[in-house]
Amino acid sequence: MKKREIPKGLRDFLPEEVKARRNMENKASRLFNSYGYQEVATPTFEYLEVIESGAGHHIREDLFLFMDRDGGIVSLRPEMTVSLARLAATHLRDRRTPQRLYYMANMFRQVQPQKAQYREFWQLGVELLGASGVWSDAEVITVAANSLLELGLKDFKISLNQIDIFNGLLEQSNLADDEQELIRYFVESKDLVDLSNLLEKLPMDDQLKESIALLPVLHGGLEVLKRIPAAEKNRKTAEAIDDLIKVYEALQVFGINEHIVVDMGVLRNLDYYTGIVFEGYSPDLGYGLLGGGRYDNLLGHFGYDCPATGFALGMDRLALVLRKQPGKKEELRYIVGGTDLSKMVVEADRLRAQGFITELDVEGCSREELKQRLANYHAEQEYNLIFID
Amino acid sequence: MKERLTIALSKGTLLEPTIDLFRQIGLPTEGLSADSRNMVFTYDNPEVTYIMCRPTDVPTYVEQGAADLGLVGKDIIVEQGKDVFELVDLKYGYCRFVVAVPGERQGIALKDLNYKRAATKFPVVAEQFFRSQGLQVEIIKLHGNIELAPIMGLSDMIVDIVSTGRTLRENNLVELVKIMDSTTRLIGNRVSYRTKHELIQPMVETIQDYMKGGMLSDN
Repeated sequence: MKKREIPKGLRDFLPEEVKARRNMENKASRLFNSYGYQEVATPTFEYLEVIESGAGHHIREDLFLFMDRDGGIVSLRPEMTVSLARLAATHLRDRRTPQRLYYMANMFRQVQPQKAQYREFWQLGVELLGASGVWSDAEVITVAANSLLELGLKDFKISLNQIDIFNGLLEQSNLADDEQELIRYFVESKDLVDLSNLLEKLPMDDQLKESIALLPVLHGGLEVLKRIPAAEKNRKTAEAIDDLIKVYEALQVFGINEHIVVDMGVLRNLDYYTGIVFEGYSPDLGYGLLGGGRYDNLLGHFGYDCPATGFALGMDRLALVLRKQPGKKEELRYIVGGTDLSKMVVEADRLRAQGFITELDVEGCSREELKQRLANYHAEQEYNLIFID
Repeated sequence: MKERLTIALSKGTLLEPTIDLFRQIGLPTEGLSADSRNMVFTYDNPEVTYIMCRPTDVPTYVEQGAADLGLVGKDIIVEQGKDVFELVDLKYGYCRFVVAVPGERQGIALKDLNYKRAATKFPVVAEQFFRSQGLQVEIIKLHGNIELAPIMGLSDMIVDIVSTGRTLRENNLVELVKIMDSTTRLIGNRVSYRTKHELIQPMVETIQDYMKGGMLSDN
């Protein structure tokens, strides 16, 4: 009997939950618009080739896949950035750059459902296409931070890194590809124990070993960048550090630096990102709220060489955090009852025109009955009763 | 930011060496003992809370952020594949994953186990190992007394953790291959590690320094 069930990991949204999400969307879209970002939408499913050429093959086990009638394999979108890259490469390449785009949509992943992790989840995000340079990174991070502030979150941190600091050190090691791969794997999966065991065995300069082992735990202000022993001798790493410092300084100008932490441990999706990366956290949730960074190679996969940077924010996760903060009281509502429908309609429309949410008593209750009902409602919602005889 | 650290401890054999470790590095341990029926221990100086969990539940508490840190065996971490930081190897609670076969098949080549059946409490580790060897093995998930499966003809071999090997010998099983070693690890929640960095990092460094001193025995 599946008549009353829904598939695993999916959810129904009740009025107050949809309201909370719409509220986030409205505030975020006002903010994004004010920075010049424009909303776009893409199909809910895409060819598997599109998803995999952008996000890599490792993502396949998370995908909801099915066949279309022509035998093409299609996938519900697991994220939006790849779809937006495809959209920009096919439709927007002749427009002026930079292009500022945003989206708000549901994504689908076949993950193990648990708290803050669902198989259908809502994201909002922005992509800044066609601009390189540290100011564009700083703008996107600022929009991310201001989204959290605008949506009502006060206590949060955004961890900032530049992945070429790590890549430079790894290249310098001259290790075989599979050894480098293994180091990346341990760093990405945050297995510091196996990382240090592996480094101990490998033939590498001691200073370099020390630096690679240290990176995943370096966390703080700009001063932590001075603690990487091998940095000065490595051009790629030194340039990346310089890049990170400039973004940090720009963020001071943008006025959000109190939320920024330099964190060399933010090293996820190393195949995808090419420069600055960041993640946002709240102390009230054990999962990240947002993530993003620079991905200058992605649009190239779709035949459009174009630098890009962006972020995505998980609305479901943010809703979990915001629910813990003291909320505002619901706005006042009116209920118009009575016996003369034409007078009731005039009164209700007058109130609505003034911006009040106004319900009409469509059941034709008496004044006493309505009073009784409102007394029962009172706990969840305050009503003003207008009764017209 | 919240200032209290919550640490999930594994009940059972890991608890005694964990209490020892905490005592050595100056974390509070008053009232903490294997006999206690309390599940939550709260201290004010420093502000830490310990919660007592079944070892297999520790990664779940940490991944979901119900605990900031946890102490649990590598065997459980690899089997569950949870998204947690693995911070320090605490060296105690040693055991190893092995493939074991009945005594009469001692010395059999691994490839002769292709298309055979393996009973285990650790289906993920078993499956990954056999696949990596290019073998197809039917995995039979059991919840305990794995040694019974080959005796009763339910499986041709077992994949299990052993520390001394006594249980294997008592059931006429011999170790064929070691899959990997396991010891206790300090794990951390991805977000706590960042939002409570100023509390967690010094503790991690203290433990690392202490481990380098090598003062704990392997038992």
